[in-house]
Amino acid sequence: MVYRVITIILLILLAIFFIFPLYWIITGSFKDALTINARTPQWFPLNPILDNYVKLFHQPAFRWLLNTVVMAVGSLILTCFTASLAGYALAKKRFFGKAVLFTIIICAMALPKQVIVIPLLQEMQFLGLRDNLLSVILPTVGWPFGVFLMKQFSETIPTEILEAARIDGAGELRTFFSVVFPMIKPGVGALAIFTFVNSWNDYFLQLIMLTKRESLTLPLGIAKMQGEMSSDFGLIMAGAALAAVPIVVVFIAFQKYFTQGIAMGAVKG
Amino acid sequence: MAQTAVAGTGRKPAPPKMDSHGRSRALARRETVSAYLFLLPSLIFFIGFVVVPMGICFVYSFLDMGINKAATTFVGFANYIEMWNDKTFWQGFWNTVLIVVVSVPAVTAFSLWVGNSIYKMKPIPRSFYRCVFYLPVVTGTVAVTVVWKWMFNPYNGLLNQVTGNIGFDWLGNPHTAIWCIIMILFTTSIGQPIVLYVAALGNVDQSLVEAAEVDGATRRQVFWRIKWPQIMPTTLYILIITTINSFQCFALIQLLTSGGPSGTTSTIMYYIFDMAYKYNRFGYANAMGVILALIIAAFSAVQFKLAKTDNA
Amino acid sequence: MKKLIALLLALIMVFALVACGEATPETSENPPATTDETPTGEEVTITIWTYPIGKFGDDATMVELIGKFEAAHPGIKVEHELIDYTNGDTQVTSAITGGGTPDIIMEGPERLVTNWGKNGVMVDLSDLWTEEITADIAATSEAVVSACQYNGVYYEYPLCMTTHCMAINYEVFEQAGALQYIDEETRTWSTDDFVSAMEAVRDSGLVAVPGIIYCGGQGGDQGTRALVNNLYSGTYTNADHTEYTANSAENVQALQLLVDMVGSGALNANAGFQATEELQQFANGTCAVTFCWNASNKTNYAEQVTFTPFAMAFPTDDGVPELCGGIWGFGIFDNGSDAKIEAAKDFIRFVCDDETQAAESVRLTGFFPVRASLGNVYAGTEQEADAEEFLKLMPFLGDYYNVIGGWSEQRTNWFNMLQNVFITGTDPQTAADEFVEASNANIG
Repeated sequence: MVYRVITIILLILLAIFFIFPLYWIITGSFKDALTINARTPQWFPLNPILDNYVKLFHQPAFRWLLNTVVMAVGSLILTCFTASLAGYALAKKRFFGKAVLFTIIICAMALPKQVIVIPLLQEMQFLGLRDNLLSVILPTVGWPFGVFLMKQFSETIPTEILEAARIDGAGELRTFFSVVFPMIKPGVGALAIFTFVNSWNDYFLQLIMLTKRESLTLPLGIAKMQGEMSSDFGLIMAGAALAAVPIVVVFIAFQKYFTQGIAMGAVKG
Repeated sequence: MAQTAVAGTGRKPAPPKMDSHGRSRALARRETVSAYLFLLPSLIFFIGFVVVPMGICFVYSFLDMGINKAATTFVGFANYIEMWNDKTFWQGFWNTVLIVVVSVPAVTAFSLWVGNSIYKMKPIPRSFYRCVFYLPVVTGTVAVTVVWKWMFNPYNGLLNQVTGNIGFDWLGNPHTAIWCIIMILFTTSIGQPIVLYVAALGNVDQSLVEAAEVDGATRRQVFWRIKWPQIMPTTLYILIITTINSFQCFALIQLLTSGGPSGTTSTIMYYIFDMAYKYNRFGYANAMGVILALIIAAFSAVQFKLAKTDNA
Repeated sequence: MKKLIALLLALIMVFALVACGEATPETSENPPATTDETPTGEEVTITIWTYPIGKFGDDATMVELIGKFEAAHPGIKVEHELIDYTNGDTQVTSAITGGGTPDIIMEGPERLVTNWGKNGVMVDLSDLWTEEITADIAATSEAVVSACQYNGVYYEYPLCMTTHCMAINYEVFEQAGALQYIDEETRTWSTDDFVSAMEAVRDSGLVAVPGIIYCGGQGGDQGTRALVNNLYSGTYTNADHTEYTANSAENVQALQLLVDMVGSGALNANAGFQATEELQQFANGTCAVTFCWNASNKTNYAEQVTFTPFAMAFPTDDGVPELCGGIWGFGIFDNGSDAKIEAAKDFIRFVCDDETQAAESVRLTGFFPVRASLGNVYAGTEQEADAEEFLKLMPFLGDYYNVIGGWSEQRTNWFNMLQNVFITGTDPQTAADEFVEASNANIG
């Protein structure tokens, strides 16, 4: 009991610690530059202003937001689809070249993006995809984090269930969609969120691939509005607050997948 | 589980072994074909946009290559040899190792603790905590560093105002700077593991847990004997992903300390970035990238090995 | 099976749609490339990237400027993209290697000439530098003419320049009784006066810290460099720009003085600070001086400053400050199309040489013209008062040594040296020697 109470208290303290930066960003987005940079912090914007948002939407911020959403959702759908199929095969099938393939996957994840991005840019230039959102989506889908995650989730599927499905005469795809997929759903839910957020925050790749004003993403667009020796913190915070909203929405939308997974765990036995 | 998943050793499932599983060759071939069909959509993207550029990177690592394309020359292993003798590279290497060695166990243990504490909660508090710990990731690195920089400000930062330590430069002190980086990296790293642990713990076979409880197993025994083995694949994933992320820690350093003071927060990744985009030495940067990838792959292989023996 | 095929088909369709939808602007971009063969009568599209240099970093202003140019030059279409200092170099570098460089870029010679020009990716601009224009620019400063060329080839066509200086919080100095140490008329002070002034500010207790030597970061190095070089009239490089000389007796003496000032609390050194943070602390009144000041910073911080930022030259022992110059202008990337290069040159001529536009272009930057014939472009404008204090400092323009080789490496080395001296406590001579050794190694 004591242990439980301590746990709860610790969790609450940690939660405050983790919420604070976002709180500061959201409140900061309603402050003017003088207040944000004041020597004594103002805990709550006493004279909230919308100037930062006005400044933001003076730019094509809706277009940037739309680009970012299209990019993140595109990556999410493609990644979840390809990775769940591939992860299942890697975990549950024996085939020639499996160890080699898996080694390549690990090495690929280990290779820093800052290096790989130059040949990637050459490739995109060759394909004529520069300044096209696909130039960011395609490498994100190719990045094998998703495959690895889905492989790990598929490991937990009991082989007997797959055998049973086969004995029942289910084909490969039927087995995947009606047996495997429901079982790895919580994993897919997690993958969906991770892909969405990672793609959203993959600043470096966007920076290299997208230069045209109309193809920018929200984080890029805000970075472009900073001076050489001055930072517009209000604008940064307004942009971050604006960007956080869709992510939180997606996060909440996918909550039900996690819950389903838990329910399923109980049914399984 | 994970019987063939041995990264780095390149061990292939040999045909005789297949026979020991009682499969005919035709069946084995059928399974291989169906596996590759499942892999196909993923492989198109993976090969096209990861493996191909990866191969090009590898080739570049043997070139002396700058922005003057006409002056590109083949230099063999010269880049690798230079790296061996490069003091800055080694300083970055040891800083990186420190970050990895501290943050990987910390992130894994902490997220396991949080995951285990919240997964049995009612849906709303559970969702709340899961969301809260994921917030630093959601907020984006640039904005998060703005807040942290303000908190660490020596003259009017929150930290010094609270502790009455005005003037102490947390990010500018060679002894504290890297720990500040590790701490911020920690807050931005635990979101994913917690989400995964909550999902994995929720997926643990309840009948086994109940059976063990009926048999009078303590809470601790239930955790380590029943739950821990079942969440092992998740743990392995978290270990490897956290290792990779820690090794590749870059944006925080670029935004907070630029590798300073006196190189105490310079990491391999930061040095690679400098080499490529500040000094335009792509060949050298690629060589370091290849070595970094190999180091990470080696670390991952060790983790796979450990996870396997742990499980056996 | 059917389900999967249907899903795949749907995905491919979505893909095709997205790809085609996005690719349409691409195709409209291709025709200009073919104008190589048929240069007459076809429309040429050129792209310009600008760093945020005054109003050249403002979209609305650029749209207006481009509109004026396009009206004067039918047949040329200009597309503008803004790049920021944090990520701009990364974007340009990757565009050079991966493809997709703009036609025109606006920045200073240390990027355009010593980095990109030297590496053969830029176009020779010698035909823009007519004898008359060269003489006109030389009349302002010979240094500008030599800064814009590498091995006798011009890679930059300059528009404007300034001197980087420092600034004091006038009110704090006034209340601390430190104004007696500065010459308000010439905006100069001696090394001894600087020490006395900072001590007076320290003793007044009006600010948390009198001044901050920022030892971190990527930019703003000109401030600390000029401070060190001026205190005892040291030089940063030799006269031919072939060797770094920052470890000379004068510079080491200056470093030692600064170390002593940090020791006595008349200054502070922060390795966690970049120029931006130091400016921020100056702007909110935490410190009373900034070592990183110019017209552009004054404009950017105007909104936050509640006191009078008073521009000053760096303190010197001999009364003759030598300030670092900033030069901004245009260069052209070689994208293999003569039509584009010609159009780009037309654009540069329009912005820098057009009788009505040239002075206006300079005013957009907030700096001063490189061409002597333009005179005081701010006379009779709203900006006159603001520009005046910086105009006073222009005669102190020193050697433009930024064209020496290994410029980006020296910047890292310089900050490392400051960190070693002020944070780790390395002896100034040793640290400066290390700096010179490391930086000289990259000149080649």
